Amino acid sequence: MKRQHARWIVIVLIAGLLGLGGTAVPGGAAAAVNLSLWGGYPEIMPVYQRVVADYQHEHPEAKVTILITQLRDYERKLAASIPSDTAGDILEMASATMDRYIEAGLIPKAPPGIAQFVRSRSFGGAAQDHAAVGGDVYGVPWFMGVGAIFYNTAMFKAAGVSRPPQTMDELVADAKKLTTRDAQGRVTRSGISLRLFGGGSGVAEKFAILMWPFGGEILTQASPGKYKAGYDNAAGQATLAMHLDALYATPADSFDLKHDAEAFELAQTAMFERESWVVGDIAQHAPSLQYMTAPMPRAKRWGTIFNPVNLYVSRSAKNPDAAWDFVKFLMQPQYQRQLLADVGWLPQRQDVNYDPVFARIPQYRAFLIKDKTYVYWSMPEIRDFDEIETKLADRLVSAYRDRSLAGNAAAIARVLHDAAQETNTILKRDGLYGE
Amino acid sequence: MTRTRLAATHLALAAGAIAMVFPFLWMIATSFKPATEVVQFPPRLLPHAPTLANYARVFATAPFARFFLNSLVITTASTAIVVTTSSAAGYVFGKFRFPGDALLFVVFLATAILPLETYMVPLYLVMRDWHWINTYQGMLAPYLVMSFGVFIMRQYFRATVPDELLDAARMDGASEWRIFTQVALPNAVSAMAAVAIIAAIQAWTAFIWPLIIASTQDLYTMEVGLAFFQQRFTVDYGAITAGATISMLPIVVAFLLFRRYISEGIALTGFR
Amino acid sequence: MASTGSRRAQPRDAGGVVRAGAANGRGGLPVPTRVFGLRRVTMGRYLFCYLMVAGPLLLFVLFRVIPIARTLELSVFNWDLISPTRPYVGLANFAALPQDSNFRLALTNTTVFAVVTVVSSVALGLAVAIPLARRLRLEGLYQLIYFVPFVTPTVPEAVVWKWIFDTRYGVLNYLLSLVGVGPVGWLTEPRVALWALVILSVWKGLGYNMVLFIVGLRAIPAEYTEAGQIDGATGWTHFRFLTLPLLMPTVLLVCVLSTISAYNVFTQVYVLASDIQGAPGSVVRVLIYDIFENAFRFYRMGYASAEASVLFAIVLLLTAVQLRVLQSRAEA
Repeated sequence: MKRQHARWIVIVLIAGLLGLGGTAVPGGAAAAVNLSLWGGYPEIMPVYQRVVADYQHEHPEAKVTILITQLRDYERKLAASIPSDTAGDILEMASATMDRYIEAGLIPKAPPGIAQFVRSRSFGGAAQDHAAVGGDVYGVPWFMGVGAIFYNTAMFKAAGVSRPPQTMDELVADAKKLTTRDAQGRVTRSGISLRLFGGGSGVAEKFAILMWPFGGEILTQASPGKYKAGYDNAAGQATLAMHLDALYATPADSFDLKHDAEAFELAQTAMFERESWVVGDIAQHAPSLQYMTAPMPRAKRWGTIFNPVNLYVSRSAKNPDAAWDFVKFLMQPQYQRQLLADVGWLPQRQDVNYDPVFARIPQYRAFLIKDKTYVYWSMPEIRDFDEIETKLADRLVSAYRDRSLAGNAAAIARVLHDAAQETNTILKRDGLYGE
Repeated sequence: MTRTRLAATHLALAAGAIAMVFPFLWMIATSFKPATEVVQFPPRLLPHAPTLANYARVFATAPFARFFLNSLVITTASTAIVVTTSSAAGYVFGKFRFPGDALLFVVFLATAILPLETYMVPLYLVMRDWHWINTYQGMLAPYLVMSFGVFIMRQYFRATVPDELLDAARMDGASEWRIFTQVALPNAVSAMAAVAIIAAIQAWTAFIWPLIIASTQDLYTMEVGLAFFQQRFTVDYGAITAGATISMLPIVVAFLLFRRYISEGIALTGFR
Repeated sequence: MASTGSRRAQPRDAGGVVRAGAANGRGGLPVPTRVFGLRRVTMGRYLFCYLMVAGPLLLFVLFRVIPIARTLELSVFNWDLISPTRPYVGLANFAALPQDSNFRLALTNTTVFAVVTVVSSVALGLAVAIPLARRLRLEGLYQLIYFVPFVTPTVPEAVVWKWIFDTRYGVLNYLLSLVGVGPVGWLTEPRVALWALVILSVWKGLGYNMVLFIVGLRAIPAEYTEAGQIDGATGWTHFRFLTLPLLMPTVLLVCVLSTISAYNVFTQVYVLASDIQGAPGSVVRVLIYDIFENAFRFYRMGYASAEASVLFAIVLLLTAVQLRVLQSRAEA
C-alpha cells in the first residue's frame, strides 16, 4: 500500500516537473536587457501589455516582464523586497507610500533628463510636488485618483432636480428630495450613498472629502513638518452632523441598503462620491445606467481629493538607464489616452489632448477641471498618517451608529474633540506635532 | 439503530449538507454568469444566459496552466515531506520516552501558535541570504513541516499501536527502523492520509508566502494568480468564482482519493 | 484500549516501553552491559529516537523557530520595517498594550470567538462524524459535502458569504423572515458581526474536525461497541461511558488544534471587512488583524511583535492547560 502510494507521488512529481519544463515562459534567454515592472492595479494590465509589446518591438534586445498584484498585498511585497534589494526594476506606487522608502534612502533620485521632463509643462504643480521630496525629483507622475460626484440622471429628472448640486447645501437638499421610502418609512433608495463602515481608513477619507469644502481637514500643517488635528472645529461638526442627519433625521441613507458603486449600479442610490474607475466599472456591469458626473460642490472652498501614483526605479535595478527609458516611453500620449479611455484612471500628464476620449465618454470631464480655482488637494504624506486616518475611521464608525448624537451639537463636538486628542497624541509620539 | 433514529439522522445530515453546499452552488452558478447578471438583484441562483466567458477570461489573462503545475509540484512535494516528517516525529513522541522529549514536543507544537504572517519578514530575509528568493525551494521552505501533523500522528500512534505489538517485534529481533516501517506505519495509513490532505490544502491554498517569494510570474501558484481578479475596488465576481471553482477541483479529487485510505487504513489493523 | 490499563500497572524500563512479562524486571532476556549508566538496548533506542527526530527538528529550527524567535525579539525595538535603524525601547511596547483600546477589543473579541467556535465546531464535528463513522448509506457523499468548505480557498468563500449575510437581500435574513425574525444587520452591526464571523468559521472548519473524529472513531475496535450493546447500554449512556473515554485522545487533539486555529483567525475578517466594493462589513477586530494592521499598515513592527508575543504566551498557556486536563482524562 505504501509503496504504491509512494510510486504515485513520484510519478506526479516527475510529470509535474516535465510539465514545468514544457510550459516555461518562453524566450528571453538571450536578451541583453531584462527589465521588470511591478504594479498594484490589475485593471491597468492591458495598457502595460501594449506598452511592453511596442517597446520590445522597438528594442529587440530588451525583455520586459510585468508583475501585477492587488494593491494591499503589493504594498506588503514592496515592504519585504525593497529593503532587501530584491524588488523589481520599475515600481508603480502611490507617492504617499513611496515617501517612507525615499526617506529611508532606499530609492535613488531620478536622473537629470527625467527630472527636467517632470518639471516641465507636461505636469501640473500638484503632480510635480508629489513626484519630488525635498526639491529632488524621484519619480515620474503616472496617474491619479480624483473624486467627483456621480449622479443618476433619470432619478434626478423624475424628482424634478434640474442640475447636479453646485454647493454643499444643495447636496443635502437634493439628497433629501431623491430619497424614496416605503410604507413603513424605511429607506428604499438612498438620496446619497455615504461611507458608513468598513475596514481600513475609507470612512475617514470619505468624511474628509466632504469636510474639505467646509474648510476642515484631517491634519492641518502648523509649520513645516509639524501638524495637528484639523477637524475639531465647525467644519468637522457640520460634516458629522450632516452624516447623522442623513441617517436619523432626514433620512437620506440607511445601514440596511447596499452602498457605493454597487448600490449605484443597482439603482439603489441617486448619488455618491468616488474616483474615475467607477466609469469603467459601470460600463462593464451596468451599461444601460443613465448617469453623469459633476465636480465636487463648493462651500467655503472648492476642490477635490487627488491621490497620485508615480513610477520609480529601484535601487537594485541592474539597468537604470534602460528602466528610465522605458518609463519615458510609457509616457507617450497614446498610452495616456488608453489609460483614460480603457481603464478609467486619470493620467497626470496634462499636455495631452484628451478630447477624443471625452467625446466618447463625457463622464470623465468632471474629473479634469481646467478652472484654476478648482483645487486638487491631497492628504499630508507623513509617516503616521495611515494610523491616524484608520483610528479616526474607527471612531467615526461608532459615532455613525449612535442615534443619540443626531441633533446634539455638544455631543458631536465632544466626539470630534476626543478623536482629535487621539490624533494629536499619535503626532506627539513621533515628534510631528505643532501648534 | 432504530428506523426512526436512522431517518432522523439522515434528515439532520441532509439539512446540514444543504447548508454546507449552498454557498458553493451560488459560487459555481455565478462562474457561469455574464458580467451584467452578476450584480443583479434580487439575486437569482441560476444564470439566465450561461456563458463560459469567465473561464475563458481566467485562462486568457495569465498562463494558468503554468500556475496549476506550480501549485501541483509544490503541493505534492510539500505533502510528501510533511507526511514523512510528521510520521517520524509523531511515532517517536507517541511511543517512546527519551531525554528532552517533552520539551521538544512543546517546541514543535508551540511553533504552530503564531501564523506565518507574523514571522514571514525574518524568514524572507533568511531566504534572501540563501539566494532562495524566486525559487521553488524558497517557496517550499515554510511548508516542509507541520506541527499539527506531528500532533495528529503522535495521538494516533499512541492510541492505536499497542506496546505489545512493538515488543513482540523486538523480541523477534527486528530493528527499530524495521518496526517503524513494517509494523507502525502500515497501521497508521488512515492518519497519514488525514495529515496528507491537511498538508495538501495548506500548500495548495497558500497565498501570502508564494506572493512575496515570487518575483517573476512563472513561479506563481494558482492562489496568487487568482488574486489578480480581486482588484482593489471591484471584485470581478465572474472570474473569481470561475477561478475558485478551478482551484477547488483538484483538492476535491485529492480528498476523494485520500478518503479511501482514511477508510481502508483501519482494515489493515490485522492485529485485532 | 487494551494497553492503557496494563501500562500503569507494569513497570517501564528506561527506554520508556513496557516490556511484556517484565514483572520480574528481567523479562527472561540476558542482562546487557551498561554504557554511560544506561543499558545498551536503551542507548540504541535513544539513538533511534534522536535520529528520527533530527530531520524534522532541523527543518523546524531553520524555518520556524529561528524566524519566530527573531520576530519575538523585535518586540523590544521600534522598527518600521524599512529603515536600517531600529532603536531599542525595552519594555515600552508591552507597557503601551494594556492602554491600547484596539488591543483590548481584539483580545476580547478573539477570546469570545475562540470559545464559541471551538465548542461549536468540536460538538458539531463530532455529531456529524458519529453516524458517518458507522458507514451510513451515502456516507462518502456526506463526507465530501461537509469537507468541501474546508478545502476551498477562504477568499471566494468570504465573498459568497458577504452576499448571504446581506441585510436586505441576503438568503439568511430571508429565511429568518419566514419565521418572523426581523432583518439582522449581520455585517453592519459590530456586535452581530462577531456572530457572522463565528458562523462562517464553524461552517468552514466543521469538515476538518469531522475527518479527525472519523479517524478516531474508526480506530476504536468493534469489540467495545459490541460489548456495550450486549450489556444493554444504549445511545447516550453508551456514548458517554464507552465511546467518549476511548475517544478522549482525539477530542484532545481536536480541541487543541481548534483553539490554535481560532486564535489565528484572520483571512475571513480581512475579506468581510475590506474596503472593496460590495458593502464593506464591520471590522471584527481580532488579534491577528490588529497585529497585521500594526505591522503592515502602520509600519510599527516592534509594537506588532510585542502583541504577537502576548498572543503567543496566551495560546501557549491555553494549550498547556488543555493538554494537562484532557490528557489526564484520556489516560484515566
